[in-house]
Amino acid sequence: MNDFLKRLEDGPLLLLDGGLGTGLMERGLPAGIPPETWTLEKPEELLDIHRAYVDAGSEAVHANTFGANPVRLAKYGLEFQHLNIQAVQLARQSGAPFVIADMGPTGEYLPPVGKGDVNIWRQAFEAQARVLLEADVDAIHIETMSDIREAHQALSALRNLSTKIPVMVSLTFDKKKKGFFTAFGDPLVESMQSLADHGATVVGANCSLASSDMQELALEASGRVHVPLVFQPNAGKPELTESGTQYSQLPDEFAADMVTMVKSLGNRLAAIGGCCGTDPRHIQALKKLLEENNIAFRRINP
Amino acid sequence: MSRASYSDFERAVVDGDKEKAEKLARDFVEAGGDLLAAVEEGLVPGIRKVGELWEEGEYFLPELVQGAEAMKAAMGLFNPALSIGNRQLPDTGKVVIGTVEGDLHDIGKSLVATMLSANGFEVYDLGSEVSIDTFLQKAAEVRAQIIGASALLTTTMSKQRDLARAIEQSALPSRPILMVGGAPTSQSWAEEIGAAYAENALQAVSVARSHLQ
Repeated sequence: MNDFLKRLEDGPLLLLDGGLGTGLMERGLPAGIPPETWTLEKPEELLDIHRAYVDAGSEAVHANTFGANPVRLAKYGLEFQHLNIQAVQLARQSGAPFVIADMGPTGEYLPPVGKGDVNIWRQAFEAQARVLLEADVDAIHIETMSDIREAHQALSALRNLSTKIPVMVSLTFDKKKKGFFTAFGDPLVESMQSLADHGATVVGANCSLASSDMQELALEASGRVHVPLVFQPNAGKPELTESGTQYSQLPDEFAADMVTMVKSLGNRLAAIGGCCGTDPRHIQALKKLLEENNIAFRRINP
Repeated sequence: MSRASYSDFERAVVDGDKEKAEKLARDFVEAGGDLLAAVEEGLVPGIRKVGELWEEGEYFLPELVQGAEAMKAAMGLFNPALSIGNRQLPDTGKVVIGTVEGDLHDIGKSLVATMLSANGFEVYDLGSEVSIDTFLQKAAEVRAQIIGASALLTTTMSKQRDLARAIEQSALPSRPILMVGGAPTSQSWAEEIGAAYAENALQAVSVARSHLQ
């Protein structure tokens, strides 16, 4: 069995990395330039961020492939194959024990919201999946999906090509009066279950919510989904300060919420990390607090 | 026409039933009904209800868009009839809208555009990744009173500030105001850059209205 699959299924709890895009922007990635361009143009900056996460305690890093599907890159006139392969190689060079390739949404929506169609999704994901499966990755993480139908297209494109590769799927939820829903109205537990039923190794949520709300979401999902879970919240909300844009949540606050989540979910949790606004300091604080609480990433399979 | 038919309009919008809204509107125009009353007592309460359901978490993006599309369809049939009949809806104004340069996000902005046009505004949606020059050119061309700019990333919201300055310096004759929105933006950010702020698509309509009065 793939070591990573074993790790996800049997534990111990895996510490992921945090935000990548926000790190690139701090290093001067200009607005309007997709993060994927730096894979070729400034690989040293990208490698530097991956390494900082590994130093902070991340055992797995996400390659810079979130937006590297042909539909999205075509808007910038970028060719996607090389960008995917190169990004995975860079992540590998960081020395991280595991490398996860990222697959984000295409940016096209079905009517009535947009003008896209299922075939556009399908072709985009199939093309990206083909390239990523040839690259040296331990898993693929479908992330930040706000429409379960798009997540399913990505998942089934992958599963048609490989039944073995571990696939993590994270949706992005808003907190409404009646609970957690995606922007398209997909409910929390049912969505996660349906992804698990269709071959997701791990399911979860990322982005949109800060760690306190994500902790609440995790509790709601816990015990109601039959595969292990993954959560990567944002570091609060972005705020404008004199020194530029900053996320409101400090590493210690983020770490405290995540440790509370780990304590309440126990062995139902496969992996945790951060999304927008989190950086190596958040991961470092989280690792430290996990250790202080004697949660040394050991997860005994039930 | 009896008052009951106004609630049919309301229902069609709440249900997001574009075909029904069109049929109702066509019949209503032919029958010579009171169009303004149908707007004010049928369509507007309908779209307001859609907005409320959205805020409550009963409705989501697709229902919101469908409601707005139904309203837009009815308005599309009412507008020509209103101008022939010499009875005008209040002059709601022209809006040029887009997502700022560097930002591909489209949903929120499109929703605002749809809601504004459903509420009678003449909306020019420039799409995503709109440069400051494009905003200004279009606003000059159509003599827009409002420029709407969305930013969904903390890194692109600074473009809203650039746009605010550019609008001020351009001294366009229609003297458009800038209305901003998007996840990272806030009332205080809007005030800092000298723009109006709308937290969501519903608010955008009332903010746009209040600036034209």
